Amino acid sequence: MSTWKRAFLYTVRKKVKTVILFFLLLAMSTFTLTGLSIYKAADNSAYSLRQSIGGSIRLELDENNRANWQYQQAAGGTMVAYTGTPITDKDIQEILSVDGIKSYNGLGDGSVFAKDFEFISGFSFGEGSDYSRLPSVTNSEYFNFFTRKAFRLVEGRHIKEDDDHVVLISTAVAENNKLKLGDTITVQCCYDSGDYPDVTLTIIGIYEYMGDSESFHTTSTDKRNRLVIDHKAMREIMQRDEIQYDNGVDFYVDDPREIDGIAKQIQALDLDWDCFKLTVDNSAYEAVASSLTAMQKLIIWMIVGCVLVSVGILTLILSMWIKQRRHETGILLAVGITKGRIVFQYIIEILMIAILAFGLSYVASSFVSQGISDLIFHRVAESQEAPEIEVPDDGSEYLDITGQYIPYDTSELETVESVRVNVRPSDLLYIYIFGALLIAVSVSVASITVIQMKPRKILSQMD
Amino acid sequence: MSVLEMNNIRYSYDNKQNVLNGINMALDEGKMYAILGQSGCGKTTLLSLLGGLDSPVDGQILYDGQDIEKLGLANHRKNNVAFIFQSYNLIDYLTPKENVALTAKLSPQPILERVGLTEEECKRNVLKLSGGQQQRVAIARALASDTKVILADEPTGNLDEDTAAEIISILKGCAHEMNKCVIIVTHSNDLAKQADTIFRVKKGKLIQA
Repeated sequence: MSTWKRAFLYTVRKKVKTVILFFLLLAMSTFTLTGLSIYKAADNSAYSLRQSIGGSIRLELDENNRANWQYQQAAGGTMVAYTGTPITDKDIQEILSVDGIKSYNGLGDGSVFAKDFEFISGFSFGEGSDYSRLPSVTNSEYFNFFTRKAFRLVEGRHIKEDDDHVVLISTAVAENNKLKLGDTITVQCCYDSGDYPDVTLTIIGIYEYMGDSESFHTTSTDKRNRLVIDHKAMREIMQRDEIQYDNGVDFYVDDPREIDGIAKQIQALDLDWDCFKLTVDNSAYEAVASSLTAMQKLIIWMIVGCVLVSVGILTLILSMWIKQRRHETGILLAVGITKGRIVFQYIIEILMIAILAFGLSYVASSFVSQGISDLIFHRVAESQEAPEIEVPDDGSEYLDITGQYIPYDTSELETVESVRVNVRPSDLLYIYIFGALLIAVSVSVASITVIQMKPRKILSQMD
Repeated sequence: MSVLEMNNIRYSYDNKQNVLNGINMALDEGKMYAILGQSGCGKTTLLSLLGGLDSPVDGQILYDGQDIEKLGLANHRKNNVAFIFQSYNLIDYLTPKENVALTAKLSPQPILERVGLTEEECKRNVLKLSGGQQQRVAIARALASDTKVILADEPTGNLDEDTAAEIISILKGCAHEMNKCVIIVTHSNDLAKQADTIFRVKKGKLIQA
């Protein structure tokens, strides 16, 4: 009689044991499959969230290295000018070669007089014309003011990499000067250190400033006076040979979870690190994904616990049952069936039951997983503090080019309300593979005491 | 050549006093042997060593001239010898027919009928048979394995007189009609008298009576 047939006959004829084991395996596999499905669903949600929120790495000039900075005369007094290695397109191209970076936005900096229009006038400390600082961007959609919802584009379009001599102005400046899309404005660099030409810019977009405009401001610190321009225009305004990214470059990554690894790769590139520094920002993702992260950790512990308890209970029950089967083991040994074949029979018996139990756990798990997921998620979410965007110690990441904080509207941050769980056949396959391995281990461990005995000892204990 | 031989066999539990000390014996096909002795004298141990259920501390056991340790004890149990126990040792979730089929090289049904079981009895749960019927199943299992040697440990110990006589008759038939080497361990002198050769185990030695 084959081992398979013996195993089948035992399973069919020892009905009570089979039924007990069936429900035990069903419960174990349902819990594990549910845990696995919830974990994967949470992982998928986290991935979508990472994709939508993103994260960035900023390459900027190292202001702590004093050797790279010198005082310079400018409108309204002296200013500190950078004299170290500038960030150029060559550096950007090198960084873009690192895997995981999807786009970038360079930030230039300049200060200009308004030649044929007027800024919103602020408090003045002395005589002289009004001026304002202006950022140049590669893509204004990624500009901090827009990503942090401080600016909202209400007319026209964003600045793109190919744009040449274009500008975004605020609704306040537009209204004050009766400017509209397609009109032009003229500006001139306000530095004293050289001859700077008048530069004409075409208005392609108008933004609304969403922050507080009532507070105390000078003309240059009033955010409504920000003229967001392209880099080609900045090069002409500042009379430079090539585009320079005075306020750094933001590199956007596909997956914020990988951001630290990407930053390390960038750090390994041959750039002038005496002049540059890197800052990582995935705080937005960390904040909104905290519930998901906590949930995933909890689920991992649940799965590990479930597997350990399952193996423990299974081994304990099987140990008891296999000891009860000493008699049978002795007989089988006496008729010349090897110990390996006997253990194999025990494994097959459990696997036969497991095939049915695991299959049914797919149905059971499909019914309960969403409910359990919602329960866990809400419990975890309740125990988490409300999302809060962390500000780095020096706060520089969130300062605008005039040194003021950019307001961050967290109300529009995407958050996760629940996790949609789907039990997949591929997860069931995991249960079958790992379940079979666990059963093999449990049966082998449970069989040790009996199998280690000599056949004669087993038979003598039987009589 | 003898089918089974013991050469200078020594056996002790946990290397203490020898239970068997320098046993030599040669057993032939077509004969029924009885091994007599008091309880605890080592006769069941002797049978276990012949059947490969245990290994001697010293000495050699040969089957058809080959050392059974070298053949492999599991292999020896499967192909060379068959056991019949006092407590029958049948597997409770198998029918008589399935018990016989466990390691059968011959078709179980004719053998079961030959030892006196009906077709209906062969399909019953083995534990629902009487002691005598269960022992017949055990004998059928031994015969179906088609080995040259049958080792029986107190095969009639749990049976009434009439049934015991029937079982002994079947075993004699196995030896004389089927040319098997049948070795019976017993403490019954009456049963031993039915054997062709009687051995007695005394103080670790084997004496031919």
